[in-house]
Amino acid sequence: MKRALPVLVLSVAGLIPVWRYEPSTGSTATEATAPASTPSVSSSPGSSSKVVTGTLVPTEKGDVQVEVTYAGDKITSVRMLKQPNHPQTTAAVPKLIAETLEAQSADIDTVSGATITSDGYKESLQAAIDAKGA
Amino acid sequence: MGFPVSLRVDDEDVPAEAGDAVFAWLREVDERFSPFKAGSEVSRLDRGELSPDGLSADLTEVLHLCEEYRIATGGAFDVRLPGRGLDPCAVVKGWSVQRAAELLTAAGARRFCLNAGGDVVVSGGPWRVGVRHPEHADKLCTVLALTDGAVATSACYERGDHIIDGRTGRPATGLLGVTVVAPTLTEADSVATAAFAMGPEGIDWAAAREGCEVYAVDAGRRVLRSRGFPVSGT
Repeated sequence: MKRALPVLVLSVAGLIPVWRYEPSTGSTATEATAPASTPSVSSSPGSSSKVVTGTLVPTEKGDVQVEVTYAGDKITSVRMLKQPNHPQTTAAVPKLIAETLEAQSADIDTVSGATITSDGYKESLQAAIDAKGA
Repeated sequence: MGFPVSLRVDDEDVPAEAGDAVFAWLREVDERFSPFKAGSEVSRLDRGELSPDGLSADLTEVLHLCEEYRIATGGAFDVRLPGRGLDPCAVVKGWSVQRAAELLTAAGARRFCLNAGGDVVVSGGPWRVGVRHPEHADKLCTVLALTDGAVATSACYERGDHIIDGRTGRPATGLLGVTVVAPTLTEADSVATAAFAMGPEGIDWAAAREGCEVYAVDAGRRVLRSRGFPVSGT
């Protein structure tokens, strides 16, 4: 864990200039930001996985806080707990919807799939659509 | 390249020659850009018989696109892999089918659906475009409703592990399939292939691209899609 904490601090410190960056301003001064809280560490019993919550870092675009999951010394995931609601940030982190994979049949006009060869085409749904239209 | 092309044009005032022109153009592209034909411009460039400033405007455009996507993916998408010949097929396909769709529009077609080996361009919808299920050839995993635009899918079910992650030189793993919707097929096809080469991180990468919507199935059969992916209501 002793190695993990400096890594986290560096990660957070590395993010600050990203949100602070404003191309149009004349001033390039960067203020040192004092951590508002200390990082907290929790580990789940029975596994080597540890979750570290970073300090809350206030920036002029809003608060930034990350959560890092470690397996041993390796970072397995980084999650944004708080991030400024700013176009730069929202563009960088697209919001995805998770769903379960379905197998369905439906009335369609055409089928998108990985490049099909002429052999594969004979048994494809697209072949059936073409046969119906011809 | 050897893939089937299906074309449906609903405008009765568009002459049949417009469709013939599409097929003639795609045959011409195969002759000029196939790395499997010894006499193609691509093969001649690869053998050093052509100088980079003596290329056709079309091939120059294609190679510029290849380089853009290589840089944008940190090298995961690469048409010049070590130990292999130049193979720009992944960009040529989308680019040439997009050009074919533009030929149709120029000939006056307003409502059409062009499908080239699973890559789709539609115009004047509504059109219902199914996405082939990554594991069941006779099923769909989703259906999208599209008015105008392009859809491309990259997956490993048809030709095996043929997409190489240029960063490792090994077949890309981690995703069963990626479908991208974009304003043009040039973008949709290249982004789908590039995202597949990148693996799971390619989903976010593709979703962040201007004008692209993404639907991906990861190795755990979980679907991840962007909010704007136009899933059909019914």
